[in-house]
Amino acid sequence: MARGSGELIRRASKSLAAAVLILTVSRAAWAASFAAKDLQVLGRAIAFMQPPPAPDAVIAIAYLPGNADSKRDADAIAALIGSGLPAGHATLRPRVVDIAGLGAGGFSVVIAAAGANGPQLNAAAKAAKALCVTTETDAVRDGFCAMAITSEPRVEIIVNHAAAAAAGIDFAAAFRMMIREM
Amino acid sequence: MTAPLMSNRIQSLTLAAAVLTMARIAAAHAQSIDYQGLEQLFGEPVTTSVTGKPQRVADAPANIEIITQDDIRRSGATNIPDVLAFVTGMDVRGYAPGAADVGIRGYNQSANSRLMVLINGRQVYMVDYGRILWASLPVEMDEIRQIEVIKGPNSALYGFNAVGGVINIITYDPTKEKINAATVRGGTQDYASGSVVGTAAIGDTAGIRLSAGGFQARNFAPGPLDSVDLRTRETPFTGNFNADGRWHVTPSIDAFLEGSYGTMRLSQPSPEGALFTEQTHQWSLRAGVSAQTGLGSFSLSAYQNTTYLRGDAATQTPPFLFLEHEQQQVAVVEANDLVKIGPYHTLRIALEYRDNSDATDLVHGRLADIDYAAALMWDWQITPALTATNAVRIDHAEVSYSGVPTVASGLTIAAFNAVRITEPSLNSGVVWRATGADTFRLSLARGVRLPTLVEQGIQSDFGTTGPVAVYGKPNLLPAITWNAEIDYDRQLPTIASVLRTALFAQRTDNVIATPFGGPITFAPAGYAITTAANVGYSTAGGMELAIKGHSPSGWRWNVSYALAATTDHTSLNTGPVIVSTELYTRSVPEHVVIVGVGYSHDQWEADLMARWQSSFVDTRSVIGTPPLRFIVVNNYVTVNARIAYRLTDRVTLALVAQQLNSASLVTTAGVPTERRLIASATARF
Repeated sequence: MARGSGELIRRASKSLAAAVLILTVSRAAWAASFAAKDLQVLGRAIAFMQPPPAPDAVIAIAYLPGNADSKRDADAIAALIGSGLPAGHATLRPRVVDIAGLGAGGFSVVIAAAGANGPQLNAAAKAAKALCVTTETDAVRDGFCAMAITSEPRVEIIVNHAAAAAAGIDFAAAFRMMIREM
Repeated sequence: MTAPLMSNRIQSLTLAAAVLTMARIAAAHAQSIDYQGLEQLFGEPVTTSVTGKPQRVADAPANIEIITQDDIRRSGATNIPDVLAFVTGMDVRGYAPGAADVGIRGYNQSANSRLMVLINGRQVYMVDYGRILWASLPVEMDEIRQIEVIKGPNSALYGFNAVGGVINIITYDPTKEKINAATVRGGTQDYASGSVVGTAAIGDTAGIRLSAGGFQARNFAPGPLDSVDLRTRETPFTGNFNADGRWHVTPSIDAFLEGSYGTMRLSQPSPEGALFTEQTHQWSLRAGVSAQTGLGSFSLSAYQNTTYLRGDAATQTPPFLFLEHEQQQVAVVEANDLVKIGPYHTLRIALEYRDNSDATDLVHGRLADIDYAAALMWDWQITPALTATNAVRIDHAEVSYSGVPTVASGLTIAAFNAVRITEPSLNSGVVWRATGADTFRLSLARGVRLPTLVEQGIQSDFGTTGPVAVYGKPNLLPAITWNAEIDYDRQLPTIASVLRTALFAQRTDNVIATPFGGPITFAPAGYAITTAANVGYSTAGGMELAIKGHSPSGWRWNVSYALAATTDHTSLNTGPVIVSTELYTRSVPEHVVIVGVGYSHDQWEADLMARWQSSFVDTRSVIGTPPLRFIVVNNYVTVNARIAYRLTDRVTLALVAQQLNSASLVTTAGVPTERRLIASATARF
């Protein structure tokens, strides 16, 4: 009985360890591409848009249709935003949308969830005159998205000047002088 | 052109330019610097003091430190020099509460003229010696958002005299930040002070902040003083009032109007080391407009500072008792345009007119330096990690004198009015963000110090102020300071700290000896004459190491070491007997170590700061032989402590101990500095 109990405990321990490992990996894999601090920085950066978004404007979170990882990332970002993203005098209401659905417009800012960056998102942001935001610097360098945000180890905001101009996005002069433009 | 005529012309030009500017604005953008919003966004203080464009400290192409309101509060300091004493690389000589000389990186002396101090961009120096009367600054500690300290020359932005460094005191914006506070303090040496700051919104688009404050005290323990000394030095006081109004005229145009009045009576040394008690009344008025145009952010402002000064030579007894009366005036009109061109280039173009004048018996008339300047700054983001900044400024100064020079001085009106000085200033810097945590900074600067009005024009005949005749020299050359510097900053996230290092080398040519410390000659009648002169060059080198950090648990800490070694190569003091106060080599402590630790928990806040400095030599002018005495100030440690308790959400009580470790310390050639205990109550509403 004692040997049996010990074996049971060992097996249970192994199973528990495996479960913890799976959960950890899973959690790491599905951590939102935007951290809470990134979103805080985003809200403060949006406050420097000229003109600023309407008080009840929509912030779209775009995902790649058929890509479960992308959808899960979008949902995670939306969960972090909660009921709204404070941005100066505005509170932007989140809306998870697949890229194909962006054509309907109605949003002032669009966040690119994992895998969503590309020509289609870029075109949709331009058409809606919306600011495209990502955490992928390469996407900004390639002109697919107007703004990249990182908050660690220090806050960095990179803006693709041409992409922002194409979407009709402008910022306060002081803000433009403090960020990196390309 | 006479001064009144020039003044009228300036007013007309200012008005015309303002009207033109407002007429042509079309864009609809906010343009004033939103310090609060940008600081929250980037998680660190921002500044415009280095290049004129808004920047984060780590991105600025010069060595800058920003002292925040939290730093000021936790320091327990009751005046700005006491705050600066705990900044790496600063030298502060305190003579009395609020009376001090402040130097950066080595060069400091009585009536220091190498430092540029501004309040929200308004220069606040005294034109006689180019010095700062700190106690007369019309700003209360509770209304300061941050104090920005730039080390090294920054003449390409600020012009003449910003050679040692620049200190820009930034107050809260009344349209964005509602600061309402009242503070009362009482302490040993009969110290009593109070200040009130109130902010009011005017409609949705304007705001005004009013502040008033002052102190009185019994001074540091008196030494063997005469009756004049005792009457004045024992009861220093200040009283200041300031009004700051700002108005968002339209979303694209901001306007502001500032005014201040203050009075003070304090005792501090003149350049020759004589203790002077000075009483002043000073006014300032400043107005400006800024706008976002299709050609960038345009700003235009004009201001005038006026100071009536009465001075007593406190350490000299009759028949050399000297009563000094002066009316000093600074009138400035400045315009600049800051524009970002494409994604990589930012330009700033600036024009400035300045009229510094001093009407005083010291010059037997009215002496003015009229300065015309043009400046250009170019900031180039070469890559996202590499930025180069170049700034150049040309100043052209003309001397204007009206009066009757004394016969014995040998000076003439023509000699004054013939003076023309044209000098370029330069600031270049490269900032390389090697990684997210590492930043390198390389900078080169050429700073220009104009001779002061006293250095150019004083005419103190034998027997007027003492047993020596003292004369200025109108055609002095400006002193030129070159500074080269390498900085390295590193984020240390594992200990939640930032490491900042600096290595600098400096050379100053045409060192200007004040009239009191210049070469000595003898008149045919046998008495001695000292005259202002260019006396050679001086070199300096040094380094700074500083770590500063804080933890989420409420702890904060800072440790720093500063080395500033100066060597004179002048024609003065070459013999065995030191005869001149121009003695940079030994006049500032070479080594300074600062350590601080603090902790906040619930309603409690406690801080302990210690500063050790090596020995230095100070000068004091006294009656007797020799007339100039050199006092060796031995190395010493000062420990300050503050403990505060937040009684309610609005009321905080604090107890501050300055120089906790010693009842009395010799810190200057003046009277010793005593330990002070100060209790305070602050209400915020």
